[in-house]
Amino acid sequence: MEVLKLAAPETVLVVIALAVLAVDLLALRGQPVSMRFGIGAAVAGLGCAATMLMLLGRHAHANLFDGMLVVDPLTNVVKAAIVLLTLFTVLISTAGKFTEHVGEYLALILLATVGMMFLVSAEDLLMIFISLELLSLSLYVLTAFNKRNIKSAEAALKYFLFGGMAAAFTLFGLSLLYGMSGSTNLHRIAEGLAGKGMDPLLIVAVVTTLIGFGFKVAAVPFHLWAPDAYEGAPTPSAAFIATGSKVASFFILAKIMMIGFAGAEGSAAWRTFISGWMPAMALLAALSMVLGNLTAIAQTSLKRLLAYSAIAHGGYMLLAVMANNEAGMAGLLYYVITYGLATLGAFGVVQVVEDATGNDSIISFTGLSRRAPALSLCLLVFLLSLGGIPPLAGFFGKFFVFSAAVGADGNHLGLLWLVILAIAMSAVSFYYYLRVLKAAYVADGADVTQATNMMAVPVATLAALVLLAFLVVILGCAPALLMGLLQAGDQVGH
Amino acid sequence: MNVGLEHYLVVSAVLFALGLLGVVTRRNILVIYMSLELMLNAANLALVAFSRFNNNLDGQVMVFFIITVAAAEVAVGLALIVALYRRRQTTHVEDLNLLKH
Repeated sequence: MEVLKLAAPETVLVVIALAVLAVDLLALRGQPVSMRFGIGAAVAGLGCAATMLMLLGRHAHANLFDGMLVVDPLTNVVKAAIVLLTLFTVLISTAGKFTEHVGEYLALILLATVGMMFLVSAEDLLMIFISLELLSLSLYVLTAFNKRNIKSAEAALKYFLFGGMAAAFTLFGLSLLYGMSGSTNLHRIAEGLAGKGMDPLLIVAVVTTLIGFGFKVAAVPFHLWAPDAYEGAPTPSAAFIATGSKVASFFILAKIMMIGFAGAEGSAAWRTFISGWMPAMALLAALSMVLGNLTAIAQTSLKRLLAYSAIAHGGYMLLAVMANNEAGMAGLLYYVITYGLATLGAFGVVQVVEDATGNDSIISFTGLSRRAPALSLCLLVFLLSLGGIPPLAGFFGKFFVFSAAVGADGNHLGLLWLVILAIAMSAVSFYYYLRVLKAAYVADGADVTQATNMMAVPVATLAALVLLAFLVVILGCAPALLMGLLQAGDQVGH
Repeated sequence: MNVGLEHYLVVSAVLFALGLLGVVTRRNILVIYMSLELMLNAANLALVAFSRFNNNLDGQVMVFFIITVAAAEVAVGLALIVALYRRRQTTHVEDLNLLKH
């Protein structure tokens, strides 16, 4: 019974997922798609809102079955953020014309969310694996959902093949970890590994686990699936893969590295590399930042551009994991949540423009400020936040992450070289974000004539986007709102 | 001859490497799936061996879950292949070339 009480938010979401599926299949058959989407999204949205209230309203500390389900304030905040991102994903998909299978689509989104929530609560290898698979399998199907688009199935297959390989790598690493420590609980693993030094088996375990999660968070050189999956997937699915799933994956990656591999850090300080997970992760972070940003410059499709920008942001977030302390964890979560809000918003704008013009190339955004002023203002907020302009949330995310990496205890400015690289690369990122905004705001004379008619923006989508933009501005003006929650949770959690 | 833990681990590593080789070099998606399964089973073998030599059943419990999840994964994967085949009449990775920069 205690399980049901502690897993109540997850249980509610599962019930809502089944309810959405049942209502759509039994009662709404034969109705127009927009109405089915409206009713389904209303049910799913109410479920998400209820789940968030339950999560934020409880203060329990519990650890069930030896780390299988850990409930504490920090995991509650992270889960609430994930459910919020899900809620917005549901809202921006309501105007979608990509599928008639509304019930299945919404149910899969909710089930993926349940996977993320269990992932966030897991401190045991078995639960980590199962919830990761629940999440991934739902995402593969969501990617393939647009059966009319010839690219969708291809994108899903590529995502599936890379994802399956990632799962195999992760699993192999985890099996070695279990073998060396004799336990599947992260804390017990760290105890079992303590004092053994870097024996070859541990190095293999570190490398394979990192490769597996590198695929999951799309770090270079394991990023190849991401641009293809984002481009081919229906836009709301791509938004979901880029945001909610990122939050959960980075949280669990940080947990495995900070708790499970505690003692096997090594060092990534400049010229004093010591083998461990730090130098390997430093390599992934540096490559992601450089390649992600430089490749994004050359993109013409906005979805691919956002994919490469996601890879670059993944690099910055790895930096926060490497800070390896509470400040790093809080900074990471602040960064990934605000990044999620801004990216979800940008994808929402892409979806509206894609529906109106037929494609997502940057040229389609020409003159957006005249065709849809509110929409382009939202886009401005999201992209500037992703670029890291001061009054917006993205700036404080970068600030927290970089200061945590510089000030990490015992490193004595060892990670400074990576922070400098990160700052230089985020300057590069302005270029491609501004290129999109230039198309939207400073249209060339020739294009103005064909771009003067107003664009129809669905009301629910516009409301969701304005709300997202509002959140990005609020979290930028008062970062303590979220940071306070994260830090409080973090301190109690340790 | 006495079979020890290291023998199991070597077999498991070889299986994993063979699976990886298959995933990287094969061109038919179905064969790639089989190679993926081989990689998962390499992890299973390692888990069972560790479980036996650690005198602890956690590893074996995990293997049951992994087998179940792998079955679900194959179901999803085959569904994706069917979806692809309906649109494109192919199961070869070289034909997955619509998505490029």
